[in-house]
Amino acid sequence: MLRADPPSPYRPSVRHLRSLIQGFVFATVLVGCQRSDGDGAPAADLRDDYGTRIALMRPPERIVSLNPTTTEILFAIGAGKRLVGRSQYDTFPDSAKVVPSLGPALRPSVEAIVNAKPDLVILYASDDNKAVFDRLRQAAIPTVAFKLDSIEQFRRDTKILGQLVGDTVSARIVVDSVSATLDRVRRATSSLPRPSVFLPTWYKPIIAIGGGSFMSELLDIAGGKNIYASALTPTVTVTLEDVVTKNPDIVLVGQTDSTIQKSDAWRAIPAVRDNHVKVVDFDLVSRPSVQLGAAAVSLARLLHPGAIP
Amino acid sequence: MRLSRWLWLGLALVVALILAIAIGTISVPISAIVDAFRGGQSTPAVVVRSLRVPRVILASLVGAGLGMSGAALQGTMRNPLAEPYLLGVSGGAAVGAVIATVLGFGFVFVPIAAFIGAIVAVIAAFFVARAAGSRGDARVLLMAGVVVGAFANAAIMVMLANAEANVVRNALWWMMGSVADATWPQIGTLFGYVLVGGTALVLFGRRIDVLSLGEDAAAGLGLDVDRSMRDVFIVSSFVAAATVAAAGLIGFVGLVVPHIARGLGARQHRALIGASGIVGATLVVLADLLSRVLRPPAELPLGAVTALVGVPFFLAKLRHLR
Amino acid sequence: MIRFDEVAVRYPRAASEALGGVSFSATNGSLTAVVGPNGSGKSTLVRALIGRVALSRGAVHVDDRDASTMERAELARDVAVVTQREELAFPVMVDDYVALGRFPHLGIWRSAGKPDRQAIAESMESAGVTELRDRRIDALSGGEWQRVRLARALAQGGRALVLDEPTTFLDIGHEMAVFELLNRVARKGLTVLLVSHQLNLVARFADRIVLIHRGLVAAEGTPDEVMRAEILERVYEWPLVVTRDPAIGAPALVPLRSR
Repeated sequence: MLRADPPSPYRPSVRHLRSLIQGFVFATVLVGCQRSDGDGAPAADLRDDYGTRIALMRPPERIVSLNPTTTEILFAIGAGKRLVGRSQYDTFPDSAKVVPSLGPALRPSVEAIVNAKPDLVILYASDDNKAVFDRLRQAAIPTVAFKLDSIEQFRRDTKILGQLVGDTVSARIVVDSVSATLDRVRRATSSLPRPSVFLPTWYKPIIAIGGGSFMSELLDIAGGKNIYASALTPTVTVTLEDVVTKNPDIVLVGQTDSTIQKSDAWRAIPAVRDNHVKVVDFDLVSRPSVQLGAAAVSLARLLHPGAIP
Repeated sequence: MRLSRWLWLGLALVVALILAIAIGTISVPISAIVDAFRGGQSTPAVVVRSLRVPRVILASLVGAGLGMSGAALQGTMRNPLAEPYLLGVSGGAAVGAVIATVLGFGFVFVPIAAFIGAIVAVIAAFFVARAAGSRGDARVLLMAGVVVGAFANAAIMVMLANAEANVVRNALWWMMGSVADATWPQIGTLFGYVLVGGTALVLFGRRIDVLSLGEDAAAGLGLDVDRSMRDVFIVSSFVAAATVAAAGLIGFVGLVVPHIARGLGARQHRALIGASGIVGATLVVLADLLSRVLRPPAELPLGAVTALVGVPFFLAKLRHLR
Repeated sequence: MIRFDEVAVRYPRAASEALGGVSFSATNGSLTAVVGPNGSGKSTLVRALIGRVALSRGAVHVDDRDASTMERAELARDVAVVTQREELAFPVMVDDYVALGRFPHLGIWRSAGKPDRQAIAESMESAGVTELRDRRIDALSGGEWQRVRLARALAQGGRALVLDEPTTFLDIGHEMAVFELLNRVARKGLTVLLVSHQLNLVARFADRIVLIHRGLVAAEGTPDEVMRAEILERVYEWPLVVTRDPAIGAPALVPLRSR
């Protein structure tokens, strides 16, 4: 949802990682799937991020996922082929593009969703989607909503998704793999000096990443210090003056030729004036999904060149 | 208006400028302000030079333009509720800005599109009035402006209804008005418009005095009524469009400021328009200051603050009228 | 000095002409009155003179020059017009208001000089409003305002004065004062053209009367020639008699009770 620049192509190194996971998962599913789900018991019984309980009698076969993160996670745990609908923003991995797009992720069209005859709908748990959530439940379509703002939510929701599709093993593999990478990065940067970082996601008004966002956590893991880490919300609206006063060491932007570097007013920030502006792959970094590990690695490479081989 | 009143007005503006430069997320002492003008590189000096001075200058130009435009229009249309956005300027500018935003043009193009939109709307209002059969009748022109404005609002709603969240946010932010993105080229352009347009409006002052007697009486005094009204409308609309292009929609200023100037004793329109320029500049500079300090570290939209400040003024004026 | 020559006016989307070809003259040193029932076209004549309505036929001549070809300021320097209504949205001081009468002479640039200030002072004196100088217009009574408007017209310093219903709101004493003022001004050589309802006062002071009925001239001539029962009854569609009071020496109209 937090996207300031158009997306860039998927990085090949992560695609290899993805194929590895999918291959491993497929093998494990063949072996272990029967054992993890008993016959006769409900396939899943849990709460989503609206607080609603959901009980599925059996694993869903036709899933609509209206959220780039959950779509990506579903593909990562091997449930991609069960997707019959996605949001227009869900373009990763490439195989997701084949799934029919049902429109926006916020306030989607209920009709379009119903037409796809899903037996599970996954929404982004924002206030905008509450109305759609209620309508779908009234139509007796199982619907869940996930928030996915922090890394812990990623772990939890991936496990829940695994339970929902009836494949907890793959989900655990994904979560563990990501956690392992994050730990590796944290260990590599923990003893290095921490530059203060400013990460804006919007310019008019200036919206910065706050402490409540996984991106702030990633910065911390990557050995940096978000100047707005004290804000508890995922984003915080600030003024240029405030940023100048906080004087970040590094400013991260989404593309090389951005608004910041062309503007005189922004040069009041010493980091901009002295060209300590680094370009971050926003597409890699903007979703708390299976790429979290790779995201942390890329951030660490920007903040501490040479620390991560 | 007496000379002493003018001096007080000028002083009020200078004080407002100094306060607005000194106060903000960080308080800047006078020494730092002086240092800033001498090229100092400390954080407060940089903040003053790169951030506060440009926005304060832009705010004063916007206020001056809107104040003068409003005073000229109120006298010409003989209507104390006339204001610079009257002839569809605000609606047209918003349509231009939203179109530029929806089509994905960069931030640089939005002001230009807003300006063009405003001018197109004013021309449309003239045509609507002519089709309704008026000969510069102020009331018909007013209604034509309302019609054009309503149409513009409808167009904006249609464009934003199915737009992405980002586009809607951009459009809304622009419409709420702000001087936070003041750039020197923008300031230079607006300065040109306000200087030329404002001077023209002051020179129109005597004609507006005659016009405010009523159109037949003005004709009897030898004024080319249609042409004078048209001249005032065109110049005011250009000035208003230029302010909107630079800072978005800043409401209430053009409406309230002439009343304040009249309350200070300016009667003839030359003095009234000039005084409205100074009062308008002061008002918007102070409103910008408020917008920065009321809810740190975020800013309130300038257009909201001017409305909040303008409403009590207006209520006081209404009570006085009784 | 002011001559209407077959002047015809049709308002847009009107069924009939407001004026259907009106011709008469007002000469120097005389007081000419235009009278007629409501809606007969009297005010339209005034608006035709100042160019506020378009003529479909004919022309208005000022000193043998077509008024529509004259520059407005030039016309205003020669002919001062006081219209029936004025709407003032904002309060103006009386002295500023009268001073606006000098606009045709001053234009946009020049400031008021000695001759201007003198003209203003004299006109306020003639109209009897000098003591109202520092008052606000919206604080005046209807009658006071009418006289201030007259002062403004006099301040214009023209050779002709055209007035549309100048005695509305005035009581008997002030009405007489205005007519006597207009008479004096006419004797001094100005051309005075006035539109009025007040047939009896007009009969006493006017040198010529033009009676307008449904956009056409129904009668024109001296008060004795025009103030005749048969003519007036037809035009005003009301029974009346015309008497002559020896104290006044002019015909007077007396409306009767309806039959």
